Order: sequence, then structure tokens, then C-alpha cells
Amino acid sequence: MNRPARTTLAELRNIRVFARLSLDGHSWLLPQTEVCALESTLDIDREVQAPHSIGAIALGGEWWPVYCLSGELQRLLQMPGSRRACILLDNGADRFSLVCDQVETLAEAPHLLALPACMGALDSPIQALALLDSKLGCVTTTEHLAALLAAFEEGTGGH
Amino acid sequence: MATENLQGSNAWVLALDHRWFAAIGERELVHLVETPTLLEVPTCPYFCRSVLAWNDRLLPAIDLAAWLQQQPRVDHHWKLAGIVAYQPAPGVMPDYGALLLADIPERLPVTDAQACPLPEQPPGWRELALSCFRRGEDAIPILDLPYLFTGGLLTR
Repeated sequence: MNRPARTTLAELRNIRVFARLSLDGHSWLLPQTEVCALESTLDIDREVQAPHSIGAIALGGEWWPVYCLSGELQRLLQMPGSRRACILLDNGADRFSLVCDQVETLAEAPHLLALPACMGALDSPIQALALLDSKLGCVTTTEHLAALLAAFEEGTGGH
Repeated sequence: MATENLQGSNAWVLALDHRWFAAIGERELVHLVETPTLLEVPTCPYFCRSVLAWNDRLLPAIDLAAWLQQQPRVDHHWKLAGIVAYQPAPGVMPDYGALLLADIPERLPVTDAQACPLPEQPPGWRELALSCFRRGEDAIPILDLPYLFTGGLLTR
């Protein structure tokens, strides 16, 4: 799969509402418009499996593959006990679900800053950084997560 | 450029850890932060896994000692961060970054007469440094800050 183009800071700054996904203490921010639904991990059917998924969840008469990623966005085969929420992401082209420790909507759009070049900005799933009450949030998109998942399937390991 | 600053002028000698020292031009070090609060950035390279909030910016914090020994550091309790200014390209506004340090930098005068070859070990010095000068028995490489902070270290 081709690497998706980087989302520019200007594009990201036009996004008014972000969802915050907590994964192992790391905060990942995604455009709220790409969040389709939030379900319980209890609703995951582990018998329905797509490659590298931990199961699937039914919504709107369709199965959404569910993936489990670490805070470093590495694929996990076993779901940690801290994962409680299942966020369903849909950007019109990619549709899948991730299990998260916690999901919340940010009340205000955070001030976004570019990921520095020396931190691997060209290849990173991180499209921007944000300071959230003295903690850090990493902005990504459903498209970039989908590319990461596709890289797992192709065996190229992702970022 | 750091080399121009160092010709018959002052340099800051930075302790990258207890073994390795490097220099930058006098005007390239703009601030010191004691016991810096570093914010970890997931998925980033082992030698630059955190940022430092400074003056409404998030500065990349590079651990050059980790890069020189090609492995991540176990101890994450940093004593100091040096905020450095560099010009990413000619005609471009200066940008800032942070270098993680083990001790307080030492300011000293440097002349062209002190020029010497770069140390052969570790081999990474040849990539990091523009040139080198002698301080007593030690060879002190002069860092190429634009190279470090614009992604040059990612190629290795």
C-alpha cells in the first residue's frame, strides 16, 4: 500500500473537534468526524477474524474488523485488560475499529504543532503534536492508521 | 556556521554523557533547562523520543550519546537540556532544538591552531561533526546542528 500523503498543519488546524484515544498512557487524537461509533469490547465477536485483527464488531448490518494496537502503534495479538472501549472509525475509504483504554471528545480544539523533522516526520503516523494540560497528544488520522494496518498485513511492519 | 564562530572565538563544550563531549558555537547555545520535563513521543527514533515545551514551542530533544552508541539509554533522568538555535537552510529563519546533557557546558576560547582530526571512535562522529579541535588531550568535535535537527540522523 502506498504511504498516504502527510496531512498539513493547515488542514489539521481546520478540524474543530478531536477524539482522544488513550492507549497505554499515550494520547492519540483523531478528527471526531472520523469516529462513527463507540462500542464496548464485550461486543467483539472473536470468531469473526480479518487478518491481524482480534475479532470483529457488528454495526449497521456489517462486520467491522477490530484491531489492537499498543501506545506505540505496534500490533498486539492479545488485548490488554485495560482496553475497555471499541472505537469505530470511518473516513469514507477506510473502515475499522480499534480497542482503546479510554475515548473522550476534547472540549476545545488543541493548538497543533508540527512533528520535528528529526523525529521521523516523513514516515511517522503522527501528523502533528498537541499539548494537552502539560501532557502530549499525537494527532493522526484514520487514513494513516489504515496504512499502518495495511503495512502489518503486507509484513512491512508499519512505521 | 559553527566553524566560523569557532575561529578565534568562543565555543561551548557540551557533555553528551560522562565519556563524550562535543562543541557548538558560542551563539548557538541560547538557554539551559535544569532537570527538563520531557514529554515522550511514541513511535519516534530511540535517540529522539521526547520533546521539551519551551516558549510555546515543542522542541525535539536529541540524545546524541544514545545515537553514538546506537542504542537507547536506560536511565531517563536528565540533568540538563541545552536549547540550541540553528538555521535549517540559508535564508531561513532560525529554529530551535534541545540537546540532552550530562553536565553544565563549559565555555572556552578556541583558535584555528587547535584544529585536529575527528576521533575515529565511535564512527558516528564523522556524521555528526563539521570539524574538531583539541582541548588538552581530548578531541572535541564541533556539531553540525542543522544536520542533526533536520533529520540527518535518521538515515543511519
